[in-house]
Amino acid sequence: MGEVSRLLVDYGPAFGQALFLTWKLTVMSFVAGVLLGMAVTVLRLLPVPPLRFVLTGYVEIFRNIPGVVLLIFIVFALPDLDVVIDYEPSVILTLSLVCSAFTADYLRTGINTIPGGQIEAALSLGMRPMRIISAVVLPQAWRAVVQPMTSLLIALMLSTSLASQVPFPGRELTALVSKVATDSAAGMPAFAVAAALYVATGLLIAWAGATLERKVRILR
Amino acid sequence: MTPTEPASDSALTIRHLVKEYRRGAPVLKDVSLTFASSGVTAIIGPSGTGKSTLIRCINRLVEPTAGEIWFEGENLAALPPARLRRVRRRIGMVFQEYNLVERLSVIENILTGRLGYVAFWRVWLRRFPAEDIARAFALLDAVGLGSDFATRRADQLSGGQRQRVGIARALMQQPRLLLADEPTSSLDPRTSVEIMDLLRALAERERIPIVINIHNVELARRCASRIIGMAQGSIVFDGAPEALDDDRLATIYGGEGWLQ
Repeated sequence: MGEVSRLLVDYGPAFGQALFLTWKLTVMSFVAGVLLGMAVTVLRLLPVPPLRFVLTGYVEIFRNIPGVVLLIFIVFALPDLDVVIDYEPSVILTLSLVCSAFTADYLRTGINTIPGGQIEAALSLGMRPMRIISAVVLPQAWRAVVQPMTSLLIALMLSTSLASQVPFPGRELTALVSKVATDSAAGMPAFAVAAALYVATGLLIAWAGATLERKVRILR
Repeated sequence: MTPTEPASDSALTIRHLVKEYRRGAPVLKDVSLTFASSGVTAIIGPSGTGKSTLIRCINRLVEPTAGEIWFEGENLAALPPARLRRVRRRIGMVFQEYNLVERLSVIENILTGRLGYVAFWRVWLRRFPAEDIARAFALLDAVGLGSDFATRRADQLSGGQRQRVGIARALMQQPRLLLADEPTSSLDPRTSVEIMDLLRALAERERIPIVINIHNVELARRCASRIIGMAQGSIVFDGAPEALDDDRLATIYGGEGWLQ
């Protein structure tokens, strides 16, 4: 216990900042990823086979590449193609792409829970296709996917640790643990503190997700 | 030959309607029908004979392969999407599975009948025009539910109550034609009769024709002024309920053993 308290005296504010950065990366990637994933989902509903093919490819590619590999590609390979993206946007881009692929996949499952009769009912009222999607389909699809999206948010939060693989100016939790381990050989307690903060964040997200789920779920 | 508009005393005229889901395997084979501007028409026939397809071709939830569908001076089969949507607003539809929005209240479900008319922001903020809300409450009474039901969630209702909401929603469109696809197939016998009687009474009150797909022959006889029998994609009987005898039923459904 003494080691942890000594660690917190030395690195307390640093852990605070690292936690904040972890949260910031999570939120920014999640918002961008969800918006992108929703756009992909809606475009995949259009009856344009080539577009569907391309977007299905998009989803499968970013769902099946390890985040670290994608990040290394963006940071170290893209510059060869004269595309240079700063470290922080690279991390957010990586996480957003992965998040969007999973969002598109989950949301499509959510859409499949909507009975076809509802679309028929909406059409027979004289509603436009885009309005049916935005007013009838998506609101219900989102309600159906609160649970998987909660898990996705937790997974995304944990994946922010891949930022430690690039020379990031700020340090999120995992990068801080690496630094503490190198600087002061206090690897074990540092890891324990970081792990506790990850778990606490995960529990917080799970609690928020469960609360939201209870509020919006549709009983069938 | 350019399609010509039929005589104006008919509300709906179907000419040479063909629907093939697979090429060379028509589900509807050259169906022609004329519907008067009032009255209940029941379409009966075995499962898979094209009744649902026929009713869905009328408002083009199913795209016809060939033929004309004349309604209020327009051939629906040839309408571009925007004009088709305008016509759809004037054709109410009632479904077997009700197709209500379960998490919304009864009154909100009825108001969704106005979705084709009101501006999007009004729907989003749930600010329907006052006259729409007044009409929704009037319809709630008309379908026998009463204003006590207004704030109940749709998923708390029984099947019969849900179908009443479905009917009120269709009438909320102020339709000039009402289509009903097996409106009583999920309901118990007594509720089925009540729903059919309600449909007939409302059609008379609103002075609009109703076309109903129905499995129950007795119910069709009781409520319809005209019965159309279909078998294998064609019309094999078209006449008054009294003319529907056992021979005709055998023609429609095939075999005779089940009539004993």
